[in-house]
Amino acid sequence: MVKKYTIRDGIDAVIKWFILLVAGVFTAFPFVWMMVSALKTKAEIMNTNAFLPEKPQWDNFATILFESPIPKYIVNSLWISLVIVAIQLVTGAMLAYAIVFMKFRGQHLLFGIIMATYMLPVAATYIPSYIILAHRGLLNTYTGLIISSTVSIFGIFLLRQAFMQVPDGMVEAAKIDGASHFRILGHVVYPMTKSSFITFGLMSFISTYNNYMWPSLITNDSSKYMVSQGLRSFFIEGGAYGTEWALVMAASAVIVLPLLILFAFAQKWFINGIGGDTGMKG
Amino acid sequence: MKKTVQIKRAGSVLLFVLPALIPLFVFWIYPIFRSVWISFTDWDFMTPTYHIVFFKNYISLFKDSRFYNALWNTLIFTIGTLVPTIVIGLGLAVLLQKPFIGSGIVKFILFSPWITPTVAISIVWTWIFQPNDGLANMVLSFFGLPALKWISSSQTAMLSVIIVTVWKSMGYAMIFYLSALEKVPEELYEASALDGAGKWGQFFAVTIPSISPTTFFLMIITMVNSLQAYDQIQILTQGGPSGSTRTLLYMYYQLGFQEFKMGQATAVAVVMIFITVLLSLIQFYASKKWVHY
Repeated sequence: MVKKYTIRDGIDAVIKWFILLVAGVFTAFPFVWMMVSALKTKAEIMNTNAFLPEKPQWDNFATILFESPIPKYIVNSLWISLVIVAIQLVTGAMLAYAIVFMKFRGQHLLFGIIMATYMLPVAATYIPSYIILAHRGLLNTYTGLIISSTVSIFGIFLLRQAFMQVPDGMVEAAKIDGASHFRILGHVVYPMTKSSFITFGLMSFISTYNNYMWPSLITNDSSKYMVSQGLRSFFIEGGAYGTEWALVMAASAVIVLPLLILFAFAQKWFINGIGGDTGMKG
Repeated sequence: MKKTVQIKRAGSVLLFVLPALIPLFVFWIYPIFRSVWISFTDWDFMTPTYHIVFFKNYISLFKDSRFYNALWNTLIFTIGTLVPTIVIGLGLAVLLQKPFIGSGIVKFILFSPWITPTVAISIVWTWIFQPNDGLANMVLSFFGLPALKWISSSQTAMLSVIIVTVWKSMGYAMIFYLSALEKVPEELYEASALDGAGKWGQFFAVTIPSISPTTFFLMIITMVNSLQAYDQIQILTQGGPSGSTRTLLYMYYQLGFQEFKMGQATAVAVVMIFITVLLSLIQFYASKKWVHY
């Protein structure tokens, strides 16, 4: 069937491009503005007439990278997130495995409880969780931060959804062969659901790395800050609320750019994880 | 013989379940009940003793105009975020549904705010919203519009917070809609085209009903997220000016972690839990009724 292109189609295409252009510019502009401002001098920041800096001030980035605590915060966030993600993958995979492949009393109740927790506002748990950590002397410690984040309910959902696609016969066959549950999980289920593990790992990494409220409530030792809390304190103290916008923008850029690069390479996994098998009916 | 097998099986179930269940219980389930208990006391965190005051925290909360103000702000913030996020997310998904050269990059740009730290981008937006030399007012003056005070005025602070939140979440909604649109059966469009429906007719008669589960899911997720929004409010406005961006969650934070009124703070938390449970029940029953699967 040959489609005839009319003037109407042309107008539609122009409108479509125009809308996407506006949306794209609106979305990208804060990032562009961040970069442009990060390269300006103090005087240029205050001058609203010039969009671009006369001469890019790469020194601003050198200051952030070599003379500010920002790299330290990035390292803190990086390794705390990696530890938390690793633990969440293990606890999540085991629980999802039990729910999908083991038969036990209270199975449905267990899943019901987990499902109910998914919607609850996590902040409502913060005061009692804070007290628990305080009683154990775990405020201001990485241990406290890590043990209070060892479970991702989102991850349990994602893996459960993926595990349900694994044919029962394969798991049964492995059981008859005398394989242990750990072996079945590692050698039968995991290879078939690897993509969900990657998605879960990336999503959980991003949300832990960026997390702000909970880490900032239980940490007040500035050498232990994660990026969000660290950047905020740099903004308020180092950046003195707006007198050092160029440096604050450079610090934001140093934190944001690696994530954008990671996302550029891993885009597929995020998009599959969100749009695909998140356990929603659709 | 049979018994040992059973014990062994129970053992392996526990082994698989407990590593997630223990932390889930300690840091999720127990704290929820504990919060309810604290909300019936006058505990101030500093002193080890407290009194049981029954509903006093709730009564003083329900008499406090700050509470109603926060409830109202939460409602405005939720609706103000929900409607644009869903409408823009769906619109973008429809435009990007058929791949074209560069569509991957457009999707990348539109989704990128969602993966960047809210604190970092909120700081960038604070700079954009500066009344004197900020970008937002430069753009307004470029179009010949009067300058606004953005986050510095109680008139526009909530609008500013909503703009940042929509900016961050519309790409996320778009991704959900893209995968929902892919699943709409082509025959439905063909059938409605045979009935003489135009593009817009098809959109309302076929697309909207077919993707209603996604819309419903996004509505609930956005509401839950709005109820829990903290990062952007903390950076942009700290609940101000004069309480104009203080939501329930921010009030909870101020009462609990700034004023140490644990009883009153947890009473706000219980109200938030109550609202979430209500939303979940609405979702559960309404999705059976209106949503076309």
